[in-house]
Amino acid sequence: MSLSKTCVHDEHEKLGAKMVDFAGWHMPIQYTSIVSEHNTVRERVGIFDVSHMGQVFVSGRDASSFLSYITTWDVSKLSNGDCRYCHILNDNGQIIDDTIVYTFTNDSYMLVPNASMVTKIYDWLNLKSADFEVSIDNKSDEFFCFAVQGPEAPRLLRQQFNLSITPFKLLEIGNLIISGTGYTGEKGYEIMGPISESLDVWKSFLDMGAIPIGLGARDTLRLEKGYLLSGTDFNGKQTTLESGYSWVIDWNHDFIGKDKLLLQKEEGHKLLKGILLEERGVLRPGLPVYFEGTQISELTSGSLSPLLKRGIGLSYLDLPIGTTVNISIRNKQLKGRVIQTPFL
Amino acid sequence: MSEIPENLSYTADHEWVGPNEGDGVKVGITDYAQDSLSDVVFVELPNVGDEYEQGEVMAVAESVKAASDIYAPIKGKITAVNEKLEESPELVNESPYGSGWMVQMEPSGEMSALIDAESYKNSLD
Repeated sequence: MSLSKTCVHDEHEKLGAKMVDFAGWHMPIQYTSIVSEHNTVRERVGIFDVSHMGQVFVSGRDASSFLSYITTWDVSKLSNGDCRYCHILNDNGQIIDDTIVYTFTNDSYMLVPNASMVTKIYDWLNLKSADFEVSIDNKSDEFFCFAVQGPEAPRLLRQQFNLSITPFKLLEIGNLIISGTGYTGEKGYEIMGPISESLDVWKSFLDMGAIPIGLGARDTLRLEKGYLLSGTDFNGKQTTLESGYSWVIDWNHDFIGKDKLLLQKEEGHKLLKGILLEERGVLRPGLPVYFEGTQISELTSGSLSPLLKRGIGLSYLDLPIGTTVNISIRNKQLKGRVIQTPFL
Repeated sequence: MSEIPENLSYTADHEWVGPNEGDGVKVGITDYAQDSLSDVVFVELPNVGDEYEQGEVMAVAESVKAASDIYAPIKGKITAVNEKLEESPELVNESPYGSGWMVQMEPSGEMSALIDAESYKNSLD
C-alpha cells in the first residue's frame, strides 16, 4: 500500500524535511532538528501540517443527543462555537479514540479523530446511529489542517485575519474553520479548510515568520504536557479513568461505556502517570518499569524533555505519586520517580 | 554535504579513528552520522580500562527519536573518555571531529579494517 500525502507534502520536501511513515501518511518528522523546533514552539511560533487528522461531520435533528451518547461529554450542553475535548469509548468503557467536538450549531458538529482512527470512528458512528436521525459525513480527504502554536501565534492571527481567538472556541472565516485548540500546551489555534486553499494558508504563515515543525517535536511538546497519544498511550484496552482523564467525563448523562466506568470506579484501577528519570538517559516506549525488583509495567510513551533535559515517560501504574521506580535501559536499572503530569 | 577530513580513518558504520600520537587514537562518529542522528541528547560511554573487539558495541548515542549503537572501530583498550559529553552531548553535533570525540583507545593489533577518507566518501554516495 502506498503512503498518503497531505496537500502540502511537496512543500515539506522542498524545505528539506526528513520524512517518515506515520499512520499510513508520508509526514515530516523534522525540518532542521527536533530540539530546535521544540524550542521554537515554546519560545516563538511554529506551524504543523496535521492534515492527516480526520474531519467527520455529524448533523441532523438528533446530532446533539447522538454525540452525547457516543462521547464522554454531554454535547447537548455545548453552545454554538464551542470546542470540547472528550473520549469515544467502546461498550467496555475502553478508549477507541480521543477527539474534539466542534459545535457549529446544535444540529451540526464536526469530530476530529486521529489519522489512524478515522475509518474506525466513522464505522463506529454508523454502527451506533441506527436509532438516531443523523447524517454522518467523512470529509477527511477534503480538508487540510494546520496547527499554529507558540507565544507569538496570536500575533500572526491578527496579522493575517485581523482576528483573535479564545481557547476552545471556533470561528468560521470564509471556508476556513479556526479553533483555539492544539497539542502543545502553548497559545495557538488550528486552521482547517478545503484543500484548494491549503497552499495559500501554509505560505502566508511561513511568510509571517511561523517556523515549520515536524512530528518529532509535536511528540516531545505533547509529552511534556502529559497529553495522550492515540495508539500509544491508549490502544483500545484502557479506559478514560485509567488514562487519568476523568475530567472529560460528564457523569450526568448516558453514554456508551458509562456502566463499565461506574463499575471500575468502585473497584479501583491503575492510572497513567508520569515518570521522570532521575539519572541521565532517554526514556522510550516499551521500556520495562520495575518496583522493588519486580517488573510491574512498561512505558507507553517515552522521550527526553528538551526543556528539562531529563528522560520523561508515561506508564499505567498502581503506585502513588513520589514513588521511586526503576526503568531498565540496556540492562541497566535507572532510577525514576512517579510524578503527576504535566512535566512542565 | 558531509565533511570528511583526509587525515582520519573510517569504518563503514560511520565511526572515525584519529592518528596515533603515542597515547592512543581518538574515536568518534562522522559528520554524516551526527547529521543522520540529529540532536544527540545523551551519550553512554564505556569505562576507562574496558577492552573491546573490533565491531563490538562500545557506546550508544541517543537522539530525541532513536538510540544508535556505536561500534569499536578497532580492537583495543579504552584509555580515556570524553567526559564533556555527559554535560554537553550536543558537542557531537557541533564538532563531531573535534570537541565531540568520544573515546581514546590503545590499539591492540592491526587496524587493517579501517578505510580512508576517499573510500568512506564513496560508501556514502
